[in-house]
Amino acid sequence: MKISLGVNGEKRELEIEPYRSLLDVLRNDAGLTGTKKGCDVGDCGACTVIVDGKPLNSCLMLGVEAQGCEVVTIEGIRHPLQEKFMDLGGAQCGFCTPGMIMMAKALLDEKPHPTEEEVRFAIAGNICRCTGYTRIVEAILHVSRR
Amino acid sequence: MSVVGKSVRRPDVPGKVTGAARYAGDLALPGMLHAKLKRSTVAHALIRRIDFSRAMKLAGVKAVLTHESVPRVLHYGSPHPRSASLACDQYILDRKVRYWGEAVAAVAAESEEIADEALDLIEVEYEELPALLTVENALASSVLIHDTKNNLVTDPVRVKRGDVDKGFAEADLVIEGTYEMGRPTPAYMEPNVCVAQWQEDRLTMWISTQTPFMVRGILAEVLGLPLAKVRVLVDHMGGGFGAKQDLFQTEFLCALLAKQTRRPVRLEFTRKETFLGGRSRHPGKVWLKQGFRKDGTLTARQARVTLNSGAYGSHGPGVTAVGTAALTSLYRCDNLMLEGKCVYTNTPIAGAYRGYGVVQTYYALDIQMDEAAERLGMDPCALKLQNAVREGDIAPSNHAVVGHGLEDCIRRGMQEVNWPVKKKTKNRGWGMGCEMHGSSAYPGIKEQGNATVRLNEDGSAQLFTGTTGLGTGAHTALAQIVAEELGLRFEDVSVVHGDTDVVPWDIGAFASHTTYMGGRAAQMAAAEVKKQLLERAADALEASAADLDVSLGMIRVKGSDKSLAVKALVSPTRGVPSKQFVASATYTPTKSYSFAAHFVEVQVDTETGQIDVLQVVPVHELGKVIHPVAAAGQIEGGIQQGIGHTLTEDYVIDPVTGRSLNAGFVDYKMPLSLDMPPIRTILLETAPDPGGPFGAKGVGEDPIIAIGPAIANAVYAAIGVRFRHYPITPEQVLEGLKSR
Repeated sequence: MKISLGVNGEKRELEIEPYRSLLDVLRNDAGLTGTKKGCDVGDCGACTVIVDGKPLNSCLMLGVEAQGCEVVTIEGIRHPLQEKFMDLGGAQCGFCTPGMIMMAKALLDEKPHPTEEEVRFAIAGNICRCTGYTRIVEAILHVSRR
Repeated sequence: MSVVGKSVRRPDVPGKVTGAARYAGDLALPGMLHAKLKRSTVAHALIRRIDFSRAMKLAGVKAVLTHESVPRVLHYGSPHPRSASLACDQYILDRKVRYWGEAVAAVAAESEEIADEALDLIEVEYEELPALLTVENALASSVLIHDTKNNLVTDPVRVKRGDVDKGFAEADLVIEGTYEMGRPTPAYMEPNVCVAQWQEDRLTMWISTQTPFMVRGILAEVLGLPLAKVRVLVDHMGGGFGAKQDLFQTEFLCALLAKQTRRPVRLEFTRKETFLGGRSRHPGKVWLKQGFRKDGTLTARQARVTLNSGAYGSHGPGVTAVGTAALTSLYRCDNLMLEGKCVYTNTPIAGAYRGYGVVQTYYALDIQMDEAAERLGMDPCALKLQNAVREGDIAPSNHAVVGHGLEDCIRRGMQEVNWPVKKKTKNRGWGMGCEMHGSSAYPGIKEQGNATVRLNEDGSAQLFTGTTGLGTGAHTALAQIVAEELGLRFEDVSVVHGDTDVVPWDIGAFASHTTYMGGRAAQMAAAEVKKQLLERAADALEASAADLDVSLGMIRVKGSDKSLAVKALVSPTRGVPSKQFVASATYTPTKSYSFAAHFVEVQVDTETGQIDVLQVVPVHELGKVIHPVAAAGQIEGGIQQGIGHTLTEDYVIDPVTGRSLNAGFVDYKMPLSLDMPPIRTILLETAPDPGGPFGAKGVGEDPIIAIGPAIANAVYAAIGVRFRHYPITPEQVLEGLKSR
């Protein structure tokens, strides 16, 4: 079936299978592989994207539900978070990074100056197995203090 | 130094923060099919009959493979060079099932959904055998899991030095105990994935592996192809932590399905399959007995290490040998008697995972040192310092230890936390744990690092390396080493990797040897190119090559103001560069050891049994730090995994059926952002190793080892309950408090 949605500010008409998740639609039908599939059941946060201003696990939303929505993926942003993740060691293997940055962006969009506790709470659903989170939290706090 | 020791921006990260970085799973080829595996529903059985006729009738299904239709070639579970580290006990698919969840058939179809549906249409009839789900059962039973004379993966490892009987007789205190370890898994974020494509008789495989040349070798061997007909490509990887050294049978199945269907085939594990078909750390038991004199001197150490390999041998022999041999050291002892056993059971496969057997044995050793200190009336740091391995001692690899790294780590940590820390708050306590870990897998494997360095006509350099980019930043470290040695700016060195057709042979990224061994090979190749450059420059500058030096892209005559840019020296005249500056180097390392001491504060909630780690001060001695942020990142990530396996992580297998009970991230509990304490990482460079580049040693495996006993010891300091196992759960804490 056909859906029409905004992806990173561009209007897209996509022919999709009705049972496909938004994650699979983004990766396979829209060709945007920056969003990662770590578990496909909403446990790891690697597939976090922003839909109509809210962060969500794109594996838990059907593609058809995104009809008429505005979806922002890692490919669609240029944000100081990206610089800080690079400089402060916030990315190692990088597989959680797109989801982590999207979640952090959603947090800072809503609350530009969070406390460390609020940062840790916001990314509690985004699993990173490489960094111990220390440098991720530091990178987000750094941006929030600008 | 101008490049080494600086936290330069890693060239692999821009793609990771923008989504441009390509992982094997991101690949989509025209006409690509999707494969799925049918997995067993019993733990131990012979396959009587397997019928996939209904699956083949499903629209969109292109091929089904079973044990009847794949080559029957016995092979190693991990494609390392043949060595004592591994077991040769696997078939692509077998007529026997050895654990619940083992693959019994593979389907290729037009979509993942169709392939999934087809799995349900495959009928398998089993003749069940008794399932041996514990080490005790497997050792006692006459039922055999493999065609071996007993259920041991390999002959027991035995190490004997001095005379333990004499040692125990001389002891004022003899202490013994049994320590038990659960089943943590690496849980890398990127599920295993590969894509196979044939072009005529040539196979190309895109895969997330730590060991691309080993994958090439074993694909060629098992499929009967010459090496030149197999090309393995690895770009970015979403972690591996050791486990992605193994083969997962998917590589063969993907290649065979692609051959049969004449279409590219992709196979990606679900998260659940990364548990079922992945590799865990070896669950185990360590019985340990030590003797001490009144003054704290160790007189004897005896141990029996028993590890559960699961259904296949994988790295079991290597893990058992390394873990057992580790008990020869850390704390000096002349009288030793050690035994290590690795046992098959009908449970998921244990394999290589960061720490490689040493996590288990040092957990036992370092907790027992804490127990001994109390019984001797000594401070645990003082006892450990007194017995700490030092320069000239024989390391587990049979090499002399360089420097006094362990003592340096303990002393620095004591200063940092002001040890002994006075107890101010109830149910809070500090503990410490130590470790040493080798860079490189020598002597288990005769290792080799290779590198080629080439100058471009603009004066920039390219490093060709076969090592993979696991996510550690290894390629960055290697480029820093080349830039430093060659006298170029970091920006002028790029790294070519990830293609077995192009880069020099490589053993793989594991055993904390990438910077140590690959870095040294890169340094040697760069030194050779530098020599070529200076010889060329000597003519141009009318000086002797010995009087020249190069730094940040400028060649200078020492003691004069005469200089020449590297770029000018190599730059083309009429389009042709002055010469092809290129060199390759091979480095065959032995081994060096990195050291660490972890100091940890915990708080125990005596109502809920919850243990909170409040802060960690890890002190690591690394010889020379190439990239401080990346090195610290390795340590912090290792501590995260170590906190997990000590307190919450345990992949649970049903003791009756052998089923996996928590194969997913909701039930397999890893530390999340809210669970992680502040970590104050301290890096020391007090014992540089002459075998490493600029003295550098490995850092990847170390941080996961010392954190475990440090936590257990801190819990004892907090509530006076001694735990000799991991994970230490809240229920057990409550039980422990009751019996206090």
